[in-house]
Amino acid sequence: MSLPSALYNSKTFGEKKFEVDPSKPQYQTTNGATTGPSEHVLNAGQVDIDRPSEPKLKEDNSNQVTYLSNLRCQLTGLQDDINVFLTEKMELAKGKKIKVASNKDTD
Amino acid sequence: MFKKQSLEKLNIPFETSKQASIAAQVLKPDPQLRPEEFKVDYSSQGSDLVVNFQSVDDRVLRVGVSNVIDSIKTIIETIDELQDF
Repeated sequence: MSLPSALYNSKTFGEKKFEVDPSKPQYQTTNGATTGPSEHVLNAGQVDIDRPSEPKLKEDNSNQVTYLSNLRCQLTGLQDDINVFLTEKMELAKGKKIKVASNKDTD
Repeated sequence: MFKKQSLEKLNIPFETSKQASIAAQVLKPDPQLRPEEFKVDYSSQGSDLVVNFQSVDDRVLRVGVSNVIDSIKTIIETIDELQDF
């Protein structure tokens, strides 16, 4: 089975490849860390009715998840990796803008 | 004019070429809300769904990519539930 992957490319930050490691727990769940309502909202009593369904098991009683459920789990982990990476890049870009603005103020 | 500052290629290996083709066809009609800032291209290559993104910056890219992945996960789940019928 081949695995989902992604390639990021930017003039500013260069290239980064995202790959799945199926042995890690983050690629074995349908509940992403960077998707869905925030913890603050959930603690306030909000019920997450859009929560992803659990992985589907094969019907042969082998207790293994189906190929597509496995793919969905791996894609969830990959989505988290991409979201975390791009959020960091957003913060860097934001910092640069603030620095440029403050330099203009002092000029 | 569209400024291509960020580019991302997402490769998703489906179980069969038919599934990858269905996923590409389901995603293609989705309208792009800000085509001057974000572009998406879907294709199937064998059993792989290949998605290419172009964006003006990382903020727009993050929102767009995450939304597309959410849609792909829904398609995967739907095929998983219904393929035996």
